[in-house]
Amino acid sequence: MGLPNASGDLSTEVEVDAFRRLFPLRFFEKHLLESIRPDARPLGRARDTTIALGAVASANGSALAKIGSTTMLAAIKMEVMAPSIEIPDEGCIAIDFHMPPICSPIVRPGRPAEAAPVVAKQLSDTILSSGMINLKELSLVSGKAAWMAYLDIYCLDADGALFDAALLAAVAAFSHLEIPVVSLNDDGKIVLSEEQGLSDREPVNKEKRKVNLGSIPFSLTCILHKNYILADPTAEEESIMETSVTVVLDSSSQLVSLYKPGGAVLAYTSAIQDCIALTRQRVKELQKILEEAISGMEVD
Amino acid sequence: MAAKPGSVPTTYSPNLAQKTRPPIFKDNDLDWVRPDGRGFHQCRPAFFRTGAVNSASGSAYAELGNTKVIVSVFGPRESKKAMMYSDTGRLNCNVSHTTFATPVRGQGLDHKEFSSMLHKALEGAIMLETFPKTTVDVFALVLESGGSDLPVVISCASLALADAGIMMYDLVAAVSVACLGKNLVIDPILEEESYQDGSLLLACMPSRNEVTQLTFTGEWSTPDINEAMQLCLDACSKLGKVMRTCLKEAASASQE
Repeated sequence: MGLPNASGDLSTEVEVDAFRRLFPLRFFEKHLLESIRPDARPLGRARDTTIALGAVASANGSALAKIGSTTMLAAIKMEVMAPSIEIPDEGCIAIDFHMPPICSPIVRPGRPAEAAPVVAKQLSDTILSSGMINLKELSLVSGKAAWMAYLDIYCLDADGALFDAALLAAVAAFSHLEIPVVSLNDDGKIVLSEEQGLSDREPVNKEKRKVNLGSIPFSLTCILHKNYILADPTAEEESIMETSVTVVLDSSSQLVSLYKPGGAVLAYTSAIQDCIALTRQRVKELQKILEEAISGMEVD
Repeated sequence: MAAKPGSVPTTYSPNLAQKTRPPIFKDNDLDWVRPDGRGFHQCRPAFFRTGAVNSASGSAYAELGNTKVIVSVFGPRESKKAMMYSDTGRLNCNVSHTTFATPVRGQGLDHKEFSSMLHKALEGAIMLETFPKTTVDVFALVLESGGSDLPVVISCASLALADAGIMMYDLVAAVSVACLGKNLVIDPILEEESYQDGSLLLACMPSRNEVTQLTFTGEWSTPDINEAMQLCLDACSKLGKVMRTCLKEAASASQE
């Protein structure tokens, strides 16, 4: 995996590995000088990305997204709630992000990862503010009942760019979401309507089986180090070079959000613009991958 | 609006009216068919794959029907500071479910009972003396619960341990049997588990023919116990072969 190094004293593979562990920053900088990364990617290229829809049968909508080896499983379960009095004709989305101990050696049971609540907050801000989902569509009976969509995203393998993978899995899960047909029973409760037995009761949401997705948000995280911009960092890159910028654009290339949570490198406007340009390219790639996953589902 | 933790309104899932026993029980016990069309003594097709999680020392994914499990192994690594000195290694197990694993949304908390059962099922198979003073962590996540979760977790965990290169006497294969009226059904799905009168879980090391864990719950007659144990042992040896094949494939793929 390591590139042959310029200095002559590092001749064998073992020594390259040792050098990588002892002087990670110098190891990376030697690569950056050659405009390449240890995993043979150019600086601006993201890792291979795949989406599989319908990974979990017990949920109403689910998706598995992989960016490199970072793996995210998102699933949506629809439950019924009584809408609040102020907004009687809107449903609700509750978003949570989990990092179970299986995903990384640094997470242990009972000691949750620090990154998890940060990513959870970013995700829910991004998804709710992007206007991807019209909450009015989640209403069932105005003032009586509305859908609560519980979106849970599990990180199965953490290898950098967690937010990007989690957002991708989340939007894919929404595009796979199929809302069950329900009807109102005599007690004022919402029950699943089945073909037999309940035919006398009119379903309340016959035509609303899918949610219409507005503009879909996609994101790209970049690492800033000196004058270099590295797109889609791995966990190793994130741990060595700490300044990151996450840009979220929607499908019509409008800016949804931009995070630059501090870090050692102060970004110039030009660097931010470069990040946005990289994200714009990445959005096109991701859109294509998502569309292919959806059309793949329709064939079956 | 976003639901903030703590202020989440109470919700319920729009389930069908509570089910009673399935109609298959009405007439003759012998006539009914299992919901997925299997024979009574037929297991679900098992799929195993090692190396599911890159950041772990070893990992495995298992899928039997709708039961989907992922297990990561970390270590041997430094034990917790508070731990006493120990000549032999420690095994630490944790099992949790995703919130969407069960038909009704759960809390996604640790499953303490499964964690300790997993520990006890594996303990006997691992050569703990090969990693003194250190701990091997076995973490399992049930992605989707489709019945017979614990046996699948145990089998998957032993495969993940093998993938991590932890020394073991043999792989551990586990299978459960449910007692439904007069019938014994092997590898029950969630629906069958909810109607069962009794259940038996057997974990064993197939090539040594040694049992590492055996648990009974519910109502059993002695002949049924004997029959069920024999069923489990046979199924375990078959499952062990599937697991072994999976390891061999992974090894030959990595050599190429």
